[in-house]
This record gives sequence, C-alpha cells and structure tokens, in this order.
Amino acid sequence: MLPETLLSETIVSEVFAKALSGGADFAEVYVERNRTRLVRLLSGELKEATSGIRYGAGLRLFYGVDIVYAYTNDLTAESLLDICDTLLKLKGQTRNVDAKGRVDDKGKGGLDFRKAVAKGLHAPRIALSSKDKRYRLERLLEAEAGAKVAAEIKQVETFLSEGEKDVLVANSEGVWAEDKRIRTRMGVTAIAQSDTDMQTGRNFPGLSCGLELFDKFPPAEVGRKAGEQAMTNLRAELAPAGTMPVVVGNAFGGVLFHEALGHLLETTSVAKRTSVLTDKLGEKIASDCVTYIDEGTTPYGWGSQEFDDEGMPSEHTTLIDKGVLKRYMVDRLGEMKTGYPRTGSGRRQDYTFAPTSRMRNTYIAKGNTPKEKLFEGIEFGLYAAVMGGGQVSPGSGDYNFGTNEAYMIRHGKIEEAVRGAMLLGKGPDSIQKIVAISDDLETASGMCGSQSGSIPTEVGQPHLLISEIVVGGRA
Amino acid sequence: MTFEEAKNYLLEQARNAKVEAEILATETRELSLSVFEGKLEDITSAVKGGIGIRVEVGGKIGYASSEERSQEALDWMLQEAIENANLQTTTDGFIPTGSALGRQDLLDEGLSGDLAQKRAMPLEMEKIIRADKRTDQVDSTGYSEYDSEVLVASTKGSSGGYRTGAAYVMGHVIMTDGTLKKSGWHYEAKREVNALEPGQTALELVKKTARHLGAKPLKTGKYRAYFEPKAFIGLLSVFGEMLSGKNVLEGQSKLANRLGSKIGSDLVTLVDDPMLADGLGSQPFDAEGTISQRLVLIENGVLKSYIHNSYTAKKLAMNNTAHASRNYNTVLSVDFSNLFLEPSTGVTLTDGIIVTDLMGLHAGANSISGEFSVQALGIKVEGGETLHAVENFAIAGEWLELLQNIVGLGETLEWQGSLGSPLVEVAELSFAGA
Repeated sequence: MLPETLLSETIVSEVFAKALSGGADFAEVYVERNRTRLVRLLSGELKEATSGIRYGAGLRLFYGVDIVYAYTNDLTAESLLDICDTLLKLKGQTRNVDAKGRVDDKGKGGLDFRKAVAKGLHAPRIALSSKDKRYRLERLLEAEAGAKVAAEIKQVETFLSEGEKDVLVANSEGVWAEDKRIRTRMGVTAIAQSDTDMQTGRNFPGLSCGLELFDKFPPAEVGRKAGEQAMTNLRAELAPAGTMPVVVGNAFGGVLFHEALGHLLETTSVAKRTSVLTDKLGEKIASDCVTYIDEGTTPYGWGSQEFDDEGMPSEHTTLIDKGVLKRYMVDRLGEMKTGYPRTGSGRRQDYTFAPTSRMRNTYIAKGNTPKEKLFEGIEFGLYAAVMGGGQVSPGSGDYNFGTNEAYMIRHGKIEEAVRGAMLLGKGPDSIQKIVAISDDLETASGMCGSQSGSIPTEVGQPHLLISEIVVGGRA
Repeated sequence: MTFEEAKNYLLEQARNAKVEAEILATETRELSLSVFEGKLEDITSAVKGGIGIRVEVGGKIGYASSEERSQEALDWMLQEAIENANLQTTTDGFIPTGSALGRQDLLDEGLSGDLAQKRAMPLEMEKIIRADKRTDQVDSTGYSEYDSEVLVASTKGSSGGYRTGAAYVMGHVIMTDGTLKKSGWHYEAKREVNALEPGQTALELVKKTARHLGAKPLKTGKYRAYFEPKAFIGLLSVFGEMLSGKNVLEGQSKLANRLGSKIGSDLVTLVDDPMLADGLGSQPFDAEGTISQRLVLIENGVLKSYIHNSYTAKKLAMNNTAHASRNYNTVLSVDFSNLFLEPSTGVTLTDGIIVTDLMGLHAGANSISGEFSVQALGIKVEGGETLHAVENFAIAGEWLELLQNIVGLGETLEWQGSLGSPLVEVAELSFAGA
C-alpha cells in the first residue's frame, strides 16, 4: 500500500547540492514513516484503540559546529527544497560555494551514497501482522486477570503499543542507511484501594520485537507483579526521612545511574562543559566495583537499533571500567566539539528533533557479592526494590528519584514496606559510594526524555549497595 | 492534499461507509532560535501537523490519525479507525451534534516582526546573564514562536477553525559562588513578540538563580511554607488532574462524589477561563466544537465542578463544560484552558521556608493518591526576614491536606504558560532534609 522507499536519491542529492551551495559544510536528511497502534483496557473494557502514521523529514545543516534544523510532513522535492531555502535564509550566510564534485553537471544526483540496510538483527519472530487485534485484547485480559492478586485491587489498566518505523538517514558525506525498527511494549497499572487509601503498582516491559513479547513476558506474570506491588504499597508505612545506606534493586534500579551518571556522560552536556564529569577521561570517578556499559547491539533490546539516527552502526561502548572513565557517549556534533570519536549515540525521538548524544541499553556490569551479603551489617537502611522515575540536573549532578516499591532494612533484614521514599543526592558522589555489587544483572525498559525527545532506552544493574543517600520521606 | 481537501475527503468517505465521523486537524509553523557563547547555535524551523479522525459505528468509537496526506494514507486511516471502533464492547459512544462556528484568529499579527529582532533577543539575554560575575555558564538562551491553525469538522454538523500562537524567550544558567554551583531556568511567553522583555527576563533569571548560591542544608521538620507561584503551579499541573471528569469517571480521582463539599480553605478559588485575552490556553471552542466558557472549579474552598467533554458529562449526568481536548493523534480527553488560583489580599512573611523550585514532579507526585514527596529549593525566613537559601530537601504531603492548610494568598497572579497562581502560604508542611 505504501511506497517502499522513503525518499529518492535524486531528491536527497538535490537538497544536499542546494545546502552545500548555500554555504553549509554538511547536510543530513532523516526520514521516517512510523505506523503505530495502541490499545488500552481499563477493567476489562477497551478504552482506547488508536492507529497512526507519523511521517516526515528533518533536514540538518552544519556550519562548523553551528546547526540549523528544519522539518516537515510534506516530502515532495518542492517542499524539501523550500525548507532548505528557509534554513539558508535564517542562517543568512549565502556565500554561493561551488558545490561541484558533490553533484553532477545538471546539479542532480552524483553523490556516491554508500547504501547500508538493516540486517534484521532485531527482526520479529512473530510478525505484528500475524495476529489480529482481538488476539492482542485477549493477551491484555490475561494480564489484567494476573494483576488481580487481592480483593483490594479495584482497577487494572493495561496497554499494548506497537510501532513499525522505517528510517532513512543520508548525509552529504555519502552515508545512506535504512533501518527498520519494530518495538512492542505492554503495560499494566494496578490500583489497590482501601477505605482511606489508593496505591498503584506498575510493570511496563518492552522489547525491539514482535508479538513474541508475550512469550518473553507472559502477560499474567506481568500483571501479577504490578498487582503485588500495588498491594505492597497499600500496606506500606510512610517512609522515614534521613541519611542512610540504601540497597537498590536490580533491573529498573538502573534508572538511578541512568539519570545520575549516564546523562552526565553524554557529549550534549560534556561539550558545553555543563556536566560535572567534563574532562575526566582516564580518571577514577566511581568506586572500583563499577563498570558501566552503554550497549547498542543487545539483540531485541528495547534501546537497540542497527544504526543510530545519524546513520552510524550501533556499537558496544564501555563508559566506565572498574571505576575509571573510559568513554563518553558521542554524536556527530559532540565529536566535532570534543574530538572524541563517535560512539553511534546520535538519537532522536522522531523527525521533529535533531539528534543529540543519548543512551541506548545502559547498565552497571555484574559484580561478585551475593545479593544476601549486601544487606548484612546494615543496622538501619532502605531497600529500594523497584525504583520510580527521576531526574538530574547535569550542571550540579543533583538527582531525585521516587521508589515504586521499598522496604526498611533493620539489623541486616528486610522488614516492613514503605512508600513515598525519595532518594536525593549528587550522582558523582553516589557512584563513589557504591560499596558492593551483586551478580543478578537484569535490564528493564523505559522512555528517556531529554533534548532530542523521548526515546526507548534500557536501564539495568544487579542489586547494589550505596553506603549513604539522603532519603526524603514523610514520617 | 491540503488539510481542507483531506478533511472533505475523509468526511465524504465516512458518509459513504455510513459511519459518523469527526475530524480534527492542526497545522503548526514553528521557529526556535537558541544562543550559546554569543552565537546563534540552533535554528529550527518547522511545518508540522496532521489529521485525526474519530468515528462512531453503532455507538462504538474508534480513532486513527496520519501526518501523511496521500489518499492511500487517508484510506488506511479511515479503515483502521473503523476496525478500532469495532473492537469496542461499549456502545454508548457518540459524536455530538455541532454547528457552524466560523473561523477566529487569536494571533493576528502577534508574531510579525523581522527576523533580526527575534535573533537579537536571545543574544541580548545571554549578554546580560554573562555580565553577572557569578555566572559560570549560560547553558542556552532562546527565542521561539508557534503559529497554529486548528480545524474541527464532523458529519454531525460541526465545522470551524481558529488560529492561535505565542512567542517565548527563555534562558538556562549555571551560577557559582566559587564553591557551589546552582542552575536555573526561566521563561516568558506572550501572544505578541513586541510584548516580550528579554532584558527583564534575563535579569529575573539571574536573580532567581543567584539567590540559591550559598544554600545550606535544611533540618528535617515541619515548617510554614510560602510557595512561589512557579512552585505552586508545579503542584497544580499534577493535581489539577483530580478535577478531570475523565478521571472521575474512570475511578482515578479522589474528588469523585465530593461536589459541593469543602475540599480547601476559604481562600481557595480555582478558575478555568478560556476567554482571557492574553491567555496562552485561550480557545473559542473545544476539540468537539463546543463553545468555551469560564468555569469556577473550586469556590471559597467548595468543590463546584469538574471539567467535562460531551461524553464524561453525559455519563456522569452533569453539564458539558466545553473542556474536550484532543490532538489529531490522541483520543478524546479533557483539559484546562487557562487554569488559575485566584489571588487574595497578600501574604506577610513570618517564619518558615519560601519554596521556590520543585524538581522531579513527574516522579514524586501522584495525582491518584494525592501524595507528593518532591525535591525542592527554597529560602529560609525568620522573623519576616529572608535568612539564606536552603537545599537538599524534599517537601512531602498530600494535595487536599495542603489545600485545607492554605492560610494566605498573594495579591499578584503570575503565569507559567496557561497555569496561574499567586504566592501561596501553607500553615504547615513536612520538609525532609539532612
């Protein structure tokens, strides 16, 4: 039904010729067509069923390290040349450079594009088209049934979202990369209610895969976890406030260092020197037990893609090795500004954003302390079993996080559940205070919001112990 | 196809398929300029938009949208919308009967002004911010504007459109006193480019950030809290959700069944006004084509109304308040236009903490339970005098308790986008610090 190629080489070449002739040093076009579907159920009832086509192109021109960006939903040659023209005018630098050598005599084509297409590393095993919408509803009903672990679970909301995104990235250096990104995510939110209180539990697994998501994450199991978390929170006491040792849970616990460490290692802030970890390559910035990886190639990883959004193949990047900072996450602009080689980290939500350096599947590597040992010797502390969301200010490294499931630790034992605990601190300080890491590495999917929009990323870590963090609570 | 053509094509195809349909389309032009180290660093120009359809098939509702306006894409969209509708088990959905609404222009010449003037604004801001010797880094300053055309039409007779837009200046700075660093941001938005005051906005940013330098840790305890408008608006943006008729209907609001009861102190009067001349959230009609009107949500502490669209109003047997909201790619919901807490006679500072900034609201505040535990920045006040800045603490409480504890409101209403509040004095609040 829809045309196979997103944009012809001729149109792309014409736009590049115009851009370079107008004085730009480098031109890049990013095109996408993303067909999305979402179904959402509340208490067994379908509340939302939507489908959509996201479609457009973004044109980015470099003048040294200055960037201009434009995007449009109209992908005709006329419209693309028009937005190119707008950019050249905005920049106000029409110095009529001779762009021959890039284009042929007629000013068309001639760019020797090196075509690269996705190898299908994350190709679905069960295609989205192989089952109808009713099949999906049945799986979500299973998730809902799984969440009803107690009579207090009064409401369960479930969703399934799917995206089939065709992407083309081409640039005036001859890159032409075509990627196909299929992502599927299921979510369960359970609400537990007593006479006086209402608490939630959540579980949102997602992968770069097709409907085999339901095999990897059986819906009833996904629901059960959300339901149990809601019940734990309903029974939980208000968390106390104070400075104390904290054991952070595995999988989604990784969000803490995603925010407090990962974001500080993106050249988006490093190049501007707004990150407190600027100029620290080769330095010891974390305790010895910390090895931190940003992995772009995890098969079916939620944050995996074969090419980044600048057309560079994805790679494995060791950011911190045994406490020593080895690499930053670098995009094209970051490379130009800092001189650090690119790491395939240029990412963007969609064509409405220019790419910046971003995380993919980022995790703390496993250590060798058995999980139980982490709790031993803690007289009074917090076990943040499941972290909530949070944020960080890259300038100061200040971070704050909620917990979705937490317990008090007393005399080395996990005791009563608490809610409302916030973890507050400074990232560079907290990574020095990781004293032990266990071996139960797991990852979890999330959406990361930053300058280039909201993108799928995985966070991960084993259980780990931080010697002290300020816990903000109500009691 | 143009939006007009696409709209007509879809309505015609819907009629042929014997389904009721409502179209919502938007087309937006945007420009944003950002400055770093004396140079225009980022320039973004955009034309974006899309067309969305809501269909009703025998009381079942389905949605689809597309940013591609080829006939193939529009056909796919209508087919998906009908398929989505047929999945529904409930049959109480409907497209409301509408009327011809004409076209209104809320923006007029608001954004006219030459590019040179717009470019100069963030450059001027950066210069002013850099001139302060405590400035460590100006992360960015910027100018941006949007100009948006909204179209609504249905097979049930509604048809109309309006144009809206605004211009913004903003800045983000890191300041230092030699030992500690503090970052801050600030922005100003107006319907008219010429009403922007970039110099003033820059000075305000410097002042608001610098006052946090030399911040000391705060001792855990209960304090009187003075929320600056920006901080209170942060809470309002989360807990306004409790007034959503949709949340009430879906059992996700603590305010269900509380109409007519006292939920806040006498001082609390919360209003939504879509008719404000300068309101950034102003609109002549909502996403279903229902004509907008002013609404008092809480009056002297008494809960008066939720916000509704045609569906939530009918299901709860209440009046439609014309708060239907929908983007072309989202489903029907409800939303505020210009929501604000009415100011009062003023606040006299005594002892407590001025809460200036809240961070991590999305993680630390839960609109369902009403609970919040949010990292904040503030200034300590004793004997009516501001002492010093305080940091590394979280404020925690429950929204409805907080509304009951409001004992004073400032005289001046301040806006952040389409949300407004005066200074808010809360008798007692938990502060968790060192």
